[in-house]
Amino acid sequence: MSLRRTFAITGRLMRQFRHDRRTLAILFVTPLLVLALFAALFRTDVPLPTVGVVGPADGSLSAAIADALVASDAVAASRIESADAGEARLSDRILDAVVVVPAPGSDGVLRPEIVVEGTNQRVAGIVPGALQQAVGAGMAAFAPPIPSGAPAPSIPRIEPVVRSLYGGSELDALDLLGGPFIGLLVFLLVYVVTSVSFLRERSAGTLERLMASPLRRTEIVVGYMIGFTIVALVQAAEVLGFGLLVLKLYNAGSVWLIFGLEVLLAVGAVSLGIFLSTFARTEFEAVQFIPLVVVPQVLLSGLLVPVSSEPGWLQVISNVLPLTYAVDALREVMLRGAGLESGIVLRDVAVLAGFCVLVIVAASATLRREVA
Amino acid sequence: MTAAATASTRPAIEARDVRKRFGAVQALAGVTLSVPTGMVYGLLGPNGAGKTTLIRALVGLVKPEEGELRVLGQRMPDREILERIGYMTQATALYADLTAEENARFFAAVHGGGDVEAALRFVNLWDRRASVTSKLSGGMRTRLSLACALVHRPDLLLLDEPTVGVDPQLRAQLWDGLREMAAGGTTIIVSSHVMDEAERADRLGLMLDGRVLAEGTVADLLALAGTDRLEDAFLRLSAAGLDR
Repeated sequence: MSLRRTFAITGRLMRQFRHDRRTLAILFVTPLLVLALFAALFRTDVPLPTVGVVGPADGSLSAAIADALVASDAVAASRIESADAGEARLSDRILDAVVVVPAPGSDGVLRPEIVVEGTNQRVAGIVPGALQQAVGAGMAAFAPPIPSGAPAPSIPRIEPVVRSLYGGSELDALDLLGGPFIGLLVFLLVYVVTSVSFLRERSAGTLERLMASPLRRTEIVVGYMIGFTIVALVQAAEVLGFGLLVLKLYNAGSVWLIFGLEVLLAVGAVSLGIFLSTFARTEFEAVQFIPLVVVPQVLLSGLLVPVSSEPGWLQVISNVLPLTYAVDALREVMLRGAGLESGIVLRDVAVLAGFCVLVIVAASATLRREVA
Repeated sequence: MTAAATASTRPAIEARDVRKRFGAVQALAGVTLSVPTGMVYGLLGPNGAGKTTLIRALVGLVKPEEGELRVLGQRMPDREILERIGYMTQATALYADLTAEENARFFAAVHGGGDVEAALRFVNLWDRRASVTSKLSGGMRTRLSLACALVHRPDLLLLDEPTVGVDPQLRAQLWDGLREMAAGGTTIIVSSHVMDEAERADRLGLMLDGRVLAEGTVADLLALAGTDRLEDAFLRLSAAGLDR
């Protein structure tokens, strides 16, 4: 083995890196960006879950527990008038949970009820803990220290019950993540395939030929869009079928609506692929865009961490990323059974459709710019 | 072509003082040119002379900064007229994973229809129509590229170095075909840096540094340079052009 020849290879690589600023940026800037995003997502003071407390104010043990919960610093709790009003606010996403502390039953057992919205695992983890503490604090406040030798006062047994407004308690992590993840998969794969294949059109010189034909730019973009959307639809149907039939993902909504959302996602992904391929000269460069386009969207879409628990400046970014709306809509439909009559779903669909139009226009415009 | 035909139709191409700059490079430095309908016109010049830029301007891919460019009577760029223009690029720009016939069919379709069989027979590839393009030899791909450029029977055919990698026998055959098309009224522009190829054109334009240095039939150019070899004529005329 000749060191000289070996170092020739190494030296050449280093010189190539020097000329390829973009690769250097990908190698040295992207990891910091992604890591910083992770830190912002997972190590920030997220807002406390908002809890509505229903309970008596009569100096009973139940009242003491309710008061202790309102005073708890694990949740942002306040008293509300009734459980029904609380549930309405739950489904409007004003409250994260409702806790009802009734008087002990005739059997002497106190059964506080926690009603959660059902699609937010973080809340589902925090609220029972907070109630547990409130029970302890409430009992301490209600029963003064027992003098030694005196008989223990009868303290009711406490058995909290958790109920979910949507989906029921049988929702597991896959049910919560699976639906939005299907949308994400469709978007990402279609984006990658389109950007690489459109780039091939550029590098092979066939795009030049198309530009010298009577084809309009929008005809090229829309033609591409239809072609890849057809493929994406088959893919979406396959993935959805696998998710619902084989993995038995929980779905309370319309399969057609889910499918429609995936069509929108695919159309957006195709146009984005064409648009961004303008900024790359080779397939390698197109692949380099993936960490920049894909990773932030996955992290900030609300799939892993609810957008509402992100720090404010990240929420701003999340709110302009199209995938955020796709994830939200898919959750809304699959977990809460919402349809097009829901304002939230309509808003999500409108944003996704607007995104598609925007990228189609941008993709057509960049094609023109390249020519003259 | 007859004198009557010349008189009755406008030139297929009229360029007047066309200029285009790419950064520091003056790719077209005032090209003035007129090509009558039904002629095979050779654009001859070394690499970097501006031949490809001129051809790209003729199909509207390059917009001149100055001057006027009319193709088939229309001021370029004009999208509608592209239906009547065939353009074969330097790179054999084809879809490698489609068959020869599928490629020809696609380019016919984007130009609004054409005769796929006639085009493939013209370049001697009808028997190979079912072959996947990536499996064809370099020469075959060049021929297929030509077929894709003329499948829609254009009135103007622009060929950027069309016979690179084509063997002499087939090259002769292709030229016969091009002559036949020209006789049928198609105007053909062929760019080349190979002298013996240029000699087959009806008229030649010698390009250097973004300008047409000299123009005429092969005989005209030889007489102008006072030599009997086109290669010498080109060298002398370029030297004279640079002195100017």
